[in-house]
Amino acid sequence: MKNHLFLAFSMLLIYSCSEDVEVSQSSTADAPAKSSSLEREPFESNYKPLESERTLIKSVNLYDGLGNEYSNLDVLFDDGIIKEIGKDIVDNNATIIDARGKWLTPGLIDIHSHMGVYPAPSVRTSSDGNEATSPNTAEVWAEHSVWSQDPQFSLALKGGVTAFHVLPGSANLFGGRGATFKNIPRNIIHDMKFPGAPHSLKMACGENPKRVYGNRGSAPSTRMGNMAGYRKAWISAVDYQKRQNEYIKKSDQAKELVDPPRRNLELDTLAGVLSGEILVQNHCYRADEMANMIELSKEFDYKITAFHHAVEAYKIADLLADEGICGALWADWWGFKHEAYDMVPANIAIVDQARSGKGCAIVHSDDEVGIQHLNQEAAKALSAGLRAGYEISKARAIKWITSNPAKAAGILDQTGTIEIGKDADLVIWSKNPFSVYALAEYVFIDGAEAFVRGEKQTQPVTDFDLGIINPSDERASL
Amino acid sequence: MKRLILFVVFLSFNLTANSILIKSGQIHDGQGNSFIGDILITDNKIVEVGKFLNSSSAKVIEARGKPVTPGLISPISNLGVVEINALDVTNDDEPDFFGPGFSVFNAFNPHSTLIPWNRSNGVTSSISTPGYSSHIFKGMGSFFLLDGNLDITGDPDVAMYSRIGATGGSRAETIQIMESLFELAKNKDGVEIEELLETTFASSLDMQLQDIEALSRVVNKEIPLVLEVNRASDILQALRLKKEFDLDLVLMSVEEAPLVLDQIQASGVSVIIDPMDNIPDSFDELASNIKLGGILSNAGIRVMFSTQRSHNYHLMRQGAGNAVAHGMNYSAGIAGMTSSVAEIFNIQNRGSIKEGNFADIVIWSDDPLEPSAYPTSVIINGDEMSLATRASRLTERYTDKRDLPSAYKH
Repeated sequence: MKNHLFLAFSMLLIYSCSEDVEVSQSSTADAPAKSSSLEREPFESNYKPLESERTLIKSVNLYDGLGNEYSNLDVLFDDGIIKEIGKDIVDNNATIIDARGKWLTPGLIDIHSHMGVYPAPSVRTSSDGNEATSPNTAEVWAEHSVWSQDPQFSLALKGGVTAFHVLPGSANLFGGRGATFKNIPRNIIHDMKFPGAPHSLKMACGENPKRVYGNRGSAPSTRMGNMAGYRKAWISAVDYQKRQNEYIKKSDQAKELVDPPRRNLELDTLAGVLSGEILVQNHCYRADEMANMIELSKEFDYKITAFHHAVEAYKIADLLADEGICGALWADWWGFKHEAYDMVPANIAIVDQARSGKGCAIVHSDDEVGIQHLNQEAAKALSAGLRAGYEISKARAIKWITSNPAKAAGILDQTGTIEIGKDADLVIWSKNPFSVYALAEYVFIDGAEAFVRGEKQTQPVTDFDLGIINPSDERASL
Repeated sequence: MKRLILFVVFLSFNLTANSILIKSGQIHDGQGNSFIGDILITDNKIVEVGKFLNSSSAKVIEARGKPVTPGLISPISNLGVVEINALDVTNDDEPDFFGPGFSVFNAFNPHSTLIPWNRSNGVTSSISTPGYSSHIFKGMGSFFLLDGNLDITGDPDVAMYSRIGATGGSRAETIQIMESLFELAKNKDGVEIEELLETTFASSLDMQLQDIEALSRVVNKEIPLVLEVNRASDILQALRLKKEFDLDLVLMSVEEAPLVLDQIQASGVSVIIDPMDNIPDSFDELASNIKLGGILSNAGIRVMFSTQRSHNYHLMRQGAGNAVAHGMNYSAGIAGMTSSVAEIFNIQNRGSIKEGNFADIVIWSDDPLEPSAYPTSVIINGDEMSLATRASRLTERYTDKRDLPSAYKH
């Protein structure tokens, strides 16, 4: 059922994981209508890069995140931006890093993290990821739970992660808004927010919402209850958006302000999805439920950006490719609950290769250890894909942890590939990053040395780390 | 052992043994040696390891320089006793009644889908252990061969499990109760167990006959005590208990071990660690560090590996790989998944490639410490195992391009 009211917004809804990324990206990023809030977006990013030097990386092997592999290339960046990529670049003003035999990739991006909202140590006093008090908490924002001193940020940084998307948990049908961060630990969380990155809405299918609320004797307690819960909420959101649009139209015609409709934080978020400003990140394991969610998105004319976890994505890989929906997946997690029982290790490869390579596969972590080894997780997924008979290059597989998650986070215009004009978010690996023995030696964020292995002054140390075991020492300095 | 009996019948007709000859493998024997060589298996045993071996009757597997290792042994798992964690009716690892006397042995399901999955990824045997228990001692783990036969090859009750750490109550009380139970089980006065059970202390803890018997095995050093412990001060407490009660102690997790390295080294205990777990996940683990494996191993402490998540025990390879990337010796990485486990848990004649041992052997596509590597052959007790799994069947079904409902693709 299409609603005419949405036709005007359909141009904003073309954000997708299809190949015409740049067009759809800019449509989303430039979305002018703040129709959902009628106000300037609060809590905007106040990110400022670390101080950086003009730097020339010499003679490096490179995966560009676009699917290409090069050997012996030079990369020059300045003012936080990639300026030049080529052979034998000479620059007398740049700091030179001889990276012969080493590998350069775009900074890794995790589209599914709970760092900050489930920080370490994992204790109830700072466990702030699930507002599990109502099945619809679209009004909460994960960034308001993030503990800026979480020591996990720095650990992820040492694994080459330059940006990550923090989501609320999956207890609720609508868990709230997620936000994207640059991985430079700061005391104020808005100083870490990725400039211009859209919010997401975390939705969850399946066992979690029905268990959490069913156990309390309230709705939803079944999968059909889950679906009814989503539909009721979207009906309210459509109505809310309609009233807002009528107000905008009226005030434009009157050339003066008339009483705006009363704001509702929950519906602000849902209306933001309907207008295409907020991207849906949907926790969903089972193929049949994902198909239902796609149908639901058509009923209310919104776009699902990615299914997360999606252990059964391989069963509907063509459908996902046709709909331009990414699968944000693990390499091999399974069996911890019933909806995660049908794992196949080729899941990521099958999603990637659907419709002759039109699929959008992402390796996500959802885990504070996994986020430190996204390259190894990609290596496992690639190996399983090759064994399943696909021809997939490492250069393509690196997209699973760079450009594809950047696309799903709505930040591909800025990061996720090694291209002239992009943020210099880069990792130099000691060896080919598909090897377990490869270590991130340099991690650059906006051209600045955010981490250099073996150099003490470039190892971030949070307030938490400081003096906590031995007053004169730091936590992880063993 | 029905299988073996049938086999004897078969032999009497054929007069030829069931033999496999693995040619030209890069053999990591699990005991620190690495060489190009051949392995001759007859029936369920390794009969010869060497160069240029020949056998007219053996099935030949050309390893072509690929790595060959002993079958991996998971020192801690829920294989055969848990199918789906969050579905309690598929779990048999948690006692309701017994404490230390709880044994998982009789619950083992050789048809669990986890078994072909872990086996096809190189794990040929495991110790399956109790899960959560409200008792200080969780119960005992048992050793199982992962050949999937209903006629189980295994060894019941090979180790006891417990932990010291944050409880929400006091760890001091945990230690006190532990000490009192060890004293009780030591039974210095040599009274009947029934009499011990009648003591106020034992009865207030609901101790059963089986509980006391199991603890007796621990204090008599018949089985090791695997103690999960992380905080440096708790590790020292564990070492004190070892000394005081003369225990065969294995420490698990030990994330703050580098702070008390000398004491651990001097005590001679071995450890089970997850080398990838560098998260200060509690106030007991503040010193957690990715270099833990290398630090322990290079100090001469024997290291075995656990994995971060259930169901994928083969990922101890990835853990070992990360440990090696951060300073551990390669052969210690291999030993930690094979010979060390066999030796520390008294698993006889397994865990290394040597003449006379049971033939539990894996041939790998590549360096087994690389997560991208996989087994090309898995041999258990001399039998070449199928590498099929439920996952491989699902993969075949969903990469089958025929225009049919998936239910008809089989």
